[in-house]
Amino acid sequence: MIRELLTRIRFLMFRKKRSEFDDELRFHLERSIAVKVAAGLPAGEARRQAMIEFGGVQAAREECERQRPGWWLGTVAQDIRYAVRGILAHRWFSAAIMATLALGIGLNTMVFTLVNAVLYKPVSVPGGDRLVCIGNRLLSRDDSNVPLSYPDFHDYRAQTASFESFEAIDDGGGILSESGNPPHRYHVARATAGLFAMVHTKALLGRAFLPADDHAGAEPALVLSYNVWQERYAGLSSVIGRSVRVNGKAATIIGVMPKDFRFPSGVDLWMPLIPTPDLAKRDNRQLRGYAILKPGITLHQANAELGGIAGRLARQFPDDKDLGVSVLTFQQRFNGGNIRIVFLMMLAAVGFVLLIACADVANMTLSRALSRQREMSIRTALGATRGRLIRQLLIESTMLSTGGGVLGMGLAEAGIHWFDLSTQTIRPSWIEFTMDFTVFGYFAALCIVSGLLFGIAPALRSSKPDLAGVLKEGAHSVGRRRGGWLSAGLVVFQFALTLVLLSGAGLFVRALLNSLSINPFVPTTQLTMASLQLPDSRYKDSDARQRFYDQLLPRLRELPGVAHAAITSDGPGLGANRHQIELEHAPIANPAQRPGIAYVVQSPGYLEAIHLPLLEGRDFNDIDGTARHEAAIVTRDAAMRLWPGQNPMGKRFRLYDDKNKASDWITVVGISADLMQEIQENNPRPLLFVPYRQEGSDNMAVVVESTADPLQAMRTTVQSLDPELPLNDPSRMKDALERQTWFLRVFGRIFLGFALIAMLMASVGIYAVIAHATNSRTQEIGVRLALGATMRNVLLLVMKRGLWQIGAGLMLGLGAALPFTHLMASLPFGMARSDASIFLIVALGLASVGLFACWLPARRAAGLDPAKAIRYE
Amino acid sequence: MSTSIDLLQGTLDVLILQTLSLEPMHGWGVAQRIQQVSKDALQIGQGSLYPALYRLEYKGWIKAEWGNSENNRRAKFYRLTAAGRRQLESELETWDRLSTAIGLVLGRTVEASR
Repeated sequence: MIRELLTRIRFLMFRKKRSEFDDELRFHLERSIAVKVAAGLPAGEARRQAMIEFGGVQAAREECERQRPGWWLGTVAQDIRYAVRGILAHRWFSAAIMATLALGIGLNTMVFTLVNAVLYKPVSVPGGDRLVCIGNRLLSRDDSNVPLSYPDFHDYRAQTASFESFEAIDDGGGILSESGNPPHRYHVARATAGLFAMVHTKALLGRAFLPADDHAGAEPALVLSYNVWQERYAGLSSVIGRSVRVNGKAATIIGVMPKDFRFPSGVDLWMPLIPTPDLAKRDNRQLRGYAILKPGITLHQANAELGGIAGRLARQFPDDKDLGVSVLTFQQRFNGGNIRIVFLMMLAAVGFVLLIACADVANMTLSRALSRQREMSIRTALGATRGRLIRQLLIESTMLSTGGGVLGMGLAEAGIHWFDLSTQTIRPSWIEFTMDFTVFGYFAALCIVSGLLFGIAPALRSSKPDLAGVLKEGAHSVGRRRGGWLSAGLVVFQFALTLVLLSGAGLFVRALLNSLSINPFVPTTQLTMASLQLPDSRYKDSDARQRFYDQLLPRLRELPGVAHAAITSDGPGLGANRHQIELEHAPIANPAQRPGIAYVVQSPGYLEAIHLPLLEGRDFNDIDGTARHEAAIVTRDAAMRLWPGQNPMGKRFRLYDDKNKASDWITVVGISADLMQEIQENNPRPLLFVPYRQEGSDNMAVVVESTADPLQAMRTTVQSLDPELPLNDPSRMKDALERQTWFLRVFGRIFLGFALIAMLMASVGIYAVIAHATNSRTQEIGVRLALGATMRNVLLLVMKRGLWQIGAGLMLGLGAALPFTHLMASLPFGMARSDASIFLIVALGLASVGLFACWLPARRAAGLDPAKAIRYE
Repeated sequence: MSTSIDLLQGTLDVLILQTLSLEPMHGWGVAQRIQQVSKDALQIGQGSLYPALYRLEYKGWIKAEWGNSENNRRAKFYRLTAAGRRQLESELETWDRLSTAIGLVLGRTVEASR
């Protein structure tokens, strides 16, 4: 057996010499002739008969060659050489094909890289492929996003055997302050001490946590991320050992983590999670679990094991009743639902683009197949089998697609870089848009599959030429009908897909235009916003907070260049809180039937600051919102929806919060013009304004209208009142609004880009098909012109074919676009609703581009000189 | 010659192996020997003899060596290898079972040839 294998391998590597067979054959024939001569035949005749007896010498030689194992490898090399010659010989044609495929494959590789990073790629820490997130799951409501409590976490960790390590984090904000450095709010993760060891990361400077750091009574330690170290401490190594305050409590900086380490996501500062009496309560759920699975343990097994532990705890502790456990990957935990849909939709869209590109290239190849028929016939006549021809053509197309793919790779790199930059500020820090082996595998598969995809139809067709016919007559009208149907079908298909893409892009563009034109009266370039989080420790209640604002606002208004200053819960267009409403004299007992409203909490002067006109009544004053002076201002839209046909001034209503607790009766004191507050909402609710004294929270934003940049002065003013209070997320209103629509802008551009590329390809496709068909009918058109056909007749004749292809494509596309756009419009990113006008505009646009592409060759045909056209060869 | 029979698919290989099991031989010799032994009933198509020889050689069942023929000309001699001998045995066994079975179905009493 082994010997047999060795023999085969030997022959695989060392071919027999050609002359060997010839020698053997010569010997054979000599013997044959000798026998015949001995039988009395003359030498010449003996030789003739011997040759006849033997049969085809060349066929036998080839047959012998074909017995060699792996003999076909040699012919593949031959085919590749032939394909390279063919590609180089038709340089421009090949370049066009490669450019088209580069676009198709490049876009797909780019989007797959993004999808892979967002939905599948393991987090880039050691053991990241086994990293999981652990949370509680409400069994009754199937809510798998419930945090863990500290005692539960400890019980899980003590009883489970599924994990190499299992740590917990309490994510939140924290204000870092010290003398000589303005206070700043950061993302603080309070973590159990094994966190850094779990992901095998050591401190860049100083040390990470030690096991004793999270014991009760331990010195409070603080670990900085690289960016905080650079920005706040200018990268000084002397920060180690420095005493600072976090939320007013002393802590010591013990280490700095390496650059780009923000585990689990976007963390600025880490502190050990030191148990407190509050944390020890089993119903105090604020921790997120992170763990590394033991090798070989699946997500499913871990879920089952922890589920069993949770079941035991649920029987033991009343607080744990109805609680299960969910073990999820990072992607499942953070990127489920809509994000998943958007990215998969993007993948579908570029899939369409690639199909269009392949159809285009298939059409180009088909049209060339006609002119290649002579070549194919000659090769067939010389003895090439059909399989051999098909293989050779497929090798050629796969080489073209691989060439295109390599070009496309560069394109993909650029696209990924652009996307990375555009999403830098909003994407979670653990997502890294880089290629990995999965992407390369996908890329390689794309190159080969698209080569086969666009190559198969032309290869099947051109490998079956009518031998004698082609050799006799020349390559003209042969097979025109069949090729015509095939390429017409491809064009119809392209137009249908393009329409789907354009409709999707149309939705984005529409939504983006909508978002640009909202609230035109708001001076977004002159408004500056920053939020203030008044800590419980220094501001015990609403009155204390109110006193702070009462001191702050007059000082802000006195700053040079400042026209208005006010506080609000949410700036214009930046979202709103929600409550349920009940109007006086119209009680609704069932909470589910009460209409919802959106509301914005504000100080007097806010409407002026955002330049929202007051149509009737008055702005809030300092008494509004105190007991028995509950007041509200409603927008005109809210007035019409809540009190249709009535004047709402002086009407009363009350609000219900999440816990179904009713407020006191609130009186309408004013009506404002309309304001788009919830721009990401598909169905905005009626909008009300309520005074700060009524609904104030500890987290409000200061809005300042100023001609100059007031930020520094604002910070000084705030910190002159409270030196420990930072200004959080300061920004111009314009930038804040743009952040709200980043999704539309980034994905709108992407989808629009895809759609325009698709449209270009489809137009080139129909142009090429019509031009080719027209070309092969030049003689016929010449005859028609000579017999008196008018320009219009010829235009119609040529364009008729294009017209029905475009029409059929549009009809098909409309059918497919409806469900696609419906899905997109249902996403809660402030997408425009799909309506007929988008389809109409898009279909008209596509039709006119398509018609133009048909008209170009038609015009050329109509302008032919009949005398020349008839002689056209 | 007119009484020649078409060879069954795949039987050429076993004929060649059987012929070569007696002594090493060149291609011409193999063809002649089969013809003689079968009393001219089996005509080996010469065009298919050499591919068969090459195939068997590639499979490692026979081995080719250049040597001198009876009349002192250079010729390629084929010789059965150990693997080829094993292959021949197993093919003969298969052949016996097959021909017995076919004989039974066709109602002929066939004595096993070996």
